[in-house]
Amino acid sequence: MTSLTDTPPSAAPLVIKHPIEPDAEPAVRLDDIRLTYETKEGALLEAVDRTSLTIRAGEFTALVGPSGCGKTSLLRVIAGLTAPSSGEVFVFGQTPKEAQRHKRLGLVFQEPALLAWRSVEDNVRLGLQLNPRETHSSTNVHELIEIVGLSGFERYRPAELSGGMQQRAALARALAIDPPLLLMDEPFAALDEITREQMRYELQRLWSVSHDPRDPPRSAVFVTHSVAEAVAIADRVLVMSPRPGRIIADIPITTSRPRRPEHEHSDRFVNDTAIVRAALRSPTTPAVPLDAA
Amino acid sequence: MAPPDIRPLLGWVLPPLVALLLAAIAVELWVRIADVSIWVMPRPTGVIENFFADFGRYFSEGLKTLGVSLGGLAIGTAAATLLAAGVAHSQVLERAVLPIAIMVKVTPVVALIPLFIIWMGHGWNPKIAIAALITYFPVLINAIAGFRDVDPRMHDFFRSVDASTWEIFRHLRLPAAVPYLFASLKISVTLSLIGAVVAEFFLSGQGGLGAVIWIEQNNLRLEQVFAAVLMLTLIGVTLSTAVVVAERLFSWRLDQPVAAS
Repeated sequence: MTSLTDTPPSAAPLVIKHPIEPDAEPAVRLDDIRLTYETKEGALLEAVDRTSLTIRAGEFTALVGPSGCGKTSLLRVIAGLTAPSSGEVFVFGQTPKEAQRHKRLGLVFQEPALLAWRSVEDNVRLGLQLNPRETHSSTNVHELIEIVGLSGFERYRPAELSGGMQQRAALARALAIDPPLLLMDEPFAALDEITREQMRYELQRLWSVSHDPRDPPRSAVFVTHSVAEAVAIADRVLVMSPRPGRIIADIPITTSRPRRPEHEHSDRFVNDTAIVRAALRSPTTPAVPLDAA
Repeated sequence: MAPPDIRPLLGWVLPPLVALLLAAIAVELWVRIADVSIWVMPRPTGVIENFFADFGRYFSEGLKTLGVSLGGLAIGTAAATLLAAGVAHSQVLERAVLPIAIMVKVTPVVALIPLFIIWMGHGWNPKIAIAALITYFPVLINAIAGFRDVDPRMHDFFRSVDASTWEIFRHLRLPAAVPYLFASLKISVTLSLIGAVVAEFFLSGQGGLGAVIWIEQNNLRLEQVFAAVLMLTLIGVTLSTAVVVAERLFSWRLDQPVAAS
């Protein structure tokens, strides 16, 4: 096994490790998804409206949109945590439930959601411990903790760590099962600005880390409401309209990898963010609660 | 490890001890000066004297009461925790069980002692049953709340790797409920002692401190009654302290960093 630590953040091989594979089975395929919630008052609220989408294997996709536009709902549909009201979801050609069963999903939330009674190490190990029949990965937990920069904190409890460190632990927990698809819901939203900007470049590095070189390139869906974050990290930015959410723009970000923080000062970066911002400002349908009666 | 510094502990223990001592001296003076009859109020020094003179009796009767109390606590806590685990997973079970549990709760359980004696005879069983029933409810309610007090994002993570219901219970719900279980144990440990003593009043032939109090008050021997109460107080303090110590040892909600060393 090649040591993961041999790959410094700036090394060129990172690019080779996650080429987008247009011919491979797509990581995610959404077919005419609709998602309608019933509110407490009994009214129907359309969260996601007729959305079809294909995310290719190896593609890092960011999902941006105003608050409450249904981007989290869409992510939960892909993760199999929320069933769509209509339409079909495939994750590597399987249903989300099957993808869960085969541990192909790595989830990261806005809150670290670590188990308070477990040490960092035992939290990272959690995904390997659960559903053990599907644990094939030869993850070295200590190596992974080192990669996310938490060496020396293995025995600490989450409450003893800063918010940024907790989120690194949560990222390590998601990566421990070596999932081909990472699903992240505003993972850095609760962090301070400085940590946040640092974390997006760390994520780029971590995303590429795989334990088995034969693995397909890892894909990611990254929900955020930060345009800069989306453009800095993604291969593709999907812009969602206010509720009922639908994808109103699909913007490729072709900047080569590995990307470095200095890139955020380039004309290209400024230009890309301007395109995304323009798409966010475009006229869209207002929220229409459908009355149940 | 260095021996623990007991000075802060003394700061907590000394003031109530001094207050207790002053109260005892006041009663002693009142009884002596006003020449209060021993049938009304014994002298504290007399009580203490009797307590140590007859310590063997109070200790062995105390062990019986302790046995009933701990037996009831163990059965009540185990049964309530098991039922709570079921209720936390099933809304149907919750709807079926909770109203009945609340009915039992608002019923003064000691009212059932005569019935329990009819059903279970004059041995230990009715006493343990009462102690169990009286501890049951606080544990049930707290355990249900604890098993359900689970961060939805943590639950999502468990689901995302297809964890089984048992795995979610074992690794998420049960540890999350530990602080709740200890909170309920603090309440139920004293309740179980109450249940044991009241049951012993009815079953005074079986011994126990409740029986001692019942018999000695019939004989108007108030020194013995107070000495038995003193032993009950000591048992209560010991049990409550044991729960607090166990909580320190097992609970994850710690004030002190665990990795400080």
